Amino acid sequence: MIHIFDGAMGTMLQAGGLNPGACPELMNIEQPEVVKNIHKAYIDAGSTIIETNTFGASSLKLEHYGLASRVAEINAAAVKIAKEAAAGRAKVAGSMGPTGCFVVPLGDLDFEDAYACFAEQAKALAEAGADYLIIETCIDIQEMRAALLAAKENAPGVPVICQLSYSEDGRTVTGTDPQSAAIILGAMGADVIGVNCSLGPEQLVPIVRTLAENCDVPISVQPNAGMPYLENGETVFPMGPEDFGRWGTELLAAGATYLGGCCGTTPAHIAALSAALRTAEEPLRAPKSRRLWLASRSKSVCIDKKLPTRLIGERINPTGRKKLAAEIREGSFLSVKKEAVNQVKAGAHLLDVNMGVGGIDQAAAMKKAVTEIAQLTDAPLAIDTSDAQALEAGLRAYPGRALINSVSYEPDRIAEFLPLAKKYGAAILCLPITAEGVPKTAEERIEVMRKIIQAAKAQGLEDGDFLLDALVMTVSADKNACYEVLITLQMYRERFGYPTTMGLSNISFGLPNRPLINSTFFAMCLAAGLDAPIMNPYDESMQRALKASAALLGDDPNGLAFSQDEANLSVPKKAAVAKESNLAALPAIKQAVIDGEKDEIVELVARAVAEGHSTNEITEKALTAAMTDIGEDFGAGRMFLPQVLLSAETMRAAFNKLKELLPASSEADKGTVVIATVKGDVHDLGKNITGALLANSGFRLIDLGKDVDSTEIVRAAIESKADIVGLCALMTTTMVQIDKVIADLKAAGCPAKVMVGGAAVTQEYADNAGADAYAPDGVKAVELAKEMVKK
Amino acid sequence: MPVYNAPLLRIDSQETRRYAGLMKAKDFDETKIADACQEARLLATPRGIWQVYDYDCQRQEIKADPPCIIEGTKIGAHLAGCDKVILLAATVGEAIEETVTAQFAAGEYAASVLLDAAATTAVEQLADAMEKAIKPKAAAKGYGMRWRFSPGYGDWPIEQQPELIRLSQAADIGISLSSSMMLVPRKSITAIIGLYKEDKSTPAASTVKHAKGCAACHKVDCPARKIPPEEHI
Repeated sequence: MIHIFDGAMGTMLQAGGLNPGACPELMNIEQPEVVKNIHKAYIDAGSTIIETNTFGASSLKLEHYGLASRVAEINAAAVKIAKEAAAGRAKVAGSMGPTGCFVVPLGDLDFEDAYACFAEQAKALAEAGADYLIIETCIDIQEMRAALLAAKENAPGVPVICQLSYSEDGRTVTGTDPQSAAIILGAMGADVIGVNCSLGPEQLVPIVRTLAENCDVPISVQPNAGMPYLENGETVFPMGPEDFGRWGTELLAAGATYLGGCCGTTPAHIAALSAALRTAEEPLRAPKSRRLWLASRSKSVCIDKKLPTRLIGERINPTGRKKLAAEIREGSFLSVKKEAVNQVKAGAHLLDVNMGVGGIDQAAAMKKAVTEIAQLTDAPLAIDTSDAQALEAGLRAYPGRALINSVSYEPDRIAEFLPLAKKYGAAILCLPITAEGVPKTAEERIEVMRKIIQAAKAQGLEDGDFLLDALVMTVSADKNACYEVLITLQMYRERFGYPTTMGLSNISFGLPNRPLINSTFFAMCLAAGLDAPIMNPYDESMQRALKASAALLGDDPNGLAFSQDEANLSVPKKAAVAKESNLAALPAIKQAVIDGEKDEIVELVARAVAEGHSTNEITEKALTAAMTDIGEDFGAGRMFLPQVLLSAETMRAAFNKLKELLPASSEADKGTVVIATVKGDVHDLGKNITGALLANSGFRLIDLGKDVDSTEIVRAAIESKADIVGLCALMTTTMVQIDKVIADLKAAGCPAKVMVGGAAVTQEYADNAGADAYAPDGVKAVELAKEMVKK
Repeated sequence: MPVYNAPLLRIDSQETRRYAGLMKAKDFDETKIADACQEARLLATPRGIWQVYDYDCQRQEIKADPPCIIEGTKIGAHLAGCDKVILLAATVGEAIEETVTAQFAAGEYAASVLLDAAATTAVEQLADAMEKAIKPKAAAKGYGMRWRFSPGYGDWPIEQQPELIRLSQAADIGISLSSSMMLVPRKSITAIIGLYKEDKSTPAASTVKHAKGCAACHKVDCPARKIPPEEHI
């Protein structure tokens, strides 16, 4: 059935006498007739569903007008007006707009506060008799999730329409694509999924199509009348009613059966839309696929037998990892975040999150971990816990559709986990374990699995919600362990058709050369129908088994990717090439410094010493010679700062090795430099770079740090008998300190030469301040310092 | 919608190269850049905030309570024709710069400098993401956005930083100022964005052309400059 919404409300209210800056929703109380007439105009134009004038009637929005205490009254009045206007000719949808704040972690509005705000409004609208609730114009999927949960729990039985707004790049401002939105909201039980505002009908056609392809509920669309511009001080939406109406059939063909208008649309637009759709036929939607989809805020991943293997990274798990457990206990999630990013980099498509540390608040840890990881990577998550509270905390915090790891046929899991899966739209990883333990044979496992699926379906879960675990036992304890898994995988596919998973490494427990057993087992399982292993994505042997299996099983047609990989592996590395060249020790050291080959240098220095070269010879003929070349290349724009720094690191390693091998012979001492970033300035990277280059060019360096007072610089210069004082200032506001230090040095009779630098400092400034030299960069500073000590 | 902490799902490696002064160093090891970008993502705590004010472009006055007069002719010209302004602040937090310092002290000079560059890229990306979030809201009201401008650009004195901190409410996201007007944490941004009515009948306001970004800066020998000095206008 095709439903016609109404069009814009705000502009109609203004035309009806709403003062600029006044609360539009207060019109429901103060000028109900104006609102009622707008509703009537839309119904006369053909609307079959009208929206209440309550877009901003939530406590967080009404607060701006000091009306936060009148939520129930304003919403109830709005529904009453709409119902009177409709008089049975149209349905009434209670409109709920966004709060105006982003939900944590994108913003500072707590999820529970957002929930409470929407719950209050949803309850008021439902109690007043709204036929639908419509949550619209949201740009943050997490706010939409809060609103949808609030609507379903506080307005039971009232269908909920969920509409996000997308930008021209086809995503919401916060990155959600329509596919992920459809997957997340469809699973959570939205009754209609759609899109409104931001764009005109033309741009919304592909978004509607994507929504329709990824859920099986009806699709709604309410475009703007094009993009607005200003003409003679008036905001103008360029699309007229006829053009707007013509797009109706396109949007219908794309899959939308609830159609209306947003900004810039009028009763004339709705009349045109209604006329265009009067004789149109509702398109047939393809039935929803049985495929298992998971989604993060901005990416969806499908696990299916027809698709390449999906890796579920298992590393975010403190079991048996003392350091990680200790960090989580202390509330630090840096290692958790590292594991998330590194696993994705290593090829994980999904990430398992386990916070099983004894003696901590599991729910709080899970919430924090899920929140942090979801901000850092777009791989969908599996919430891995046996604690129902931790599970709910994780599911609530996750701005996506997660996988629950796991649901067994144990009474508490069935009773507690399945309703949570339904409520939050999560998929479940089913584990064939009963209260009695682990069934040994494939036949028994199938039977337990059948019961779990039956119980889950009784709770409302559907075909695309299951991932079946084949349950791996240890082959050293049971000779049939591998065989039963292979049979189980095949039977899962035959009997249920759902995708499969397992943790692999248990198979080899107690055996030598576990990597060989594991990767061989892995290859067998892939052939038997394993779709999404839970594994360590850093494991080289498993990755290689996966690639080889993909080539063998046809996932990598003709083994093209495999061949490419093998070819890349056989290319020798740069360092290996360098080793083969037979340079003499000193030129080799020089070249290694220029190339920044820190790993090579230690060996080369040792070789030079063994060949009888003195410290002085190595320093002058190799290290200093390299620095001279580097200085020239830098000055000529052939070499750049980070490369110079790699060379400096290499120099440092060389000097350290020399000191270790020949401690007696002191390195060349070119003089003492006191260096500091001046008072008030906290930028010290440039100063540090200069210092490092000086120290690695044979100068004795005294680095006083940043934000250093003039008196301290003067004292250090005199005490150390400095040859040179180096001053750094980055900003025009702190540059003046240079003048002060120079004056103080002179007043104290310090003979040291002064070199200055920093982003804002110029040659002219240095001259005026009475500095002896201006160094535009660290390399030049070394050159100048060498000249200064010669004089 | 004043607080927006955009996620950093990736940090642009090309921009990181540019800030590290490596634009012309074609053979520089890409994995070192990628490692720095990843490290920055792990250490960053992206936070952003903005506020909208009415603006009198004749008097260069932000109509806050108390109001603020913007000093500087370039910023004045940049905001000509605007009747609203957005004051924006963004930061990626302290942890990155602590690591930058620690890495340097440990002799990891290059990694330290690359991490610093990645952090700069990150905070710029954050401000870009905020602009992206603001844009549709402004457009819905018929407003176009000028590019963001910060104290220290052109002749806008950085002594006005305290006013930007106040007007953007940057303290709410943990940004403060040192006595020498430096933002703390260092990897932070404060900026103003002018909103102008895109009026088709009076095109003057929207077609005013200003030198933008690097082209507007007098530091033509900057290693991170996006255009070669000879193209400088």
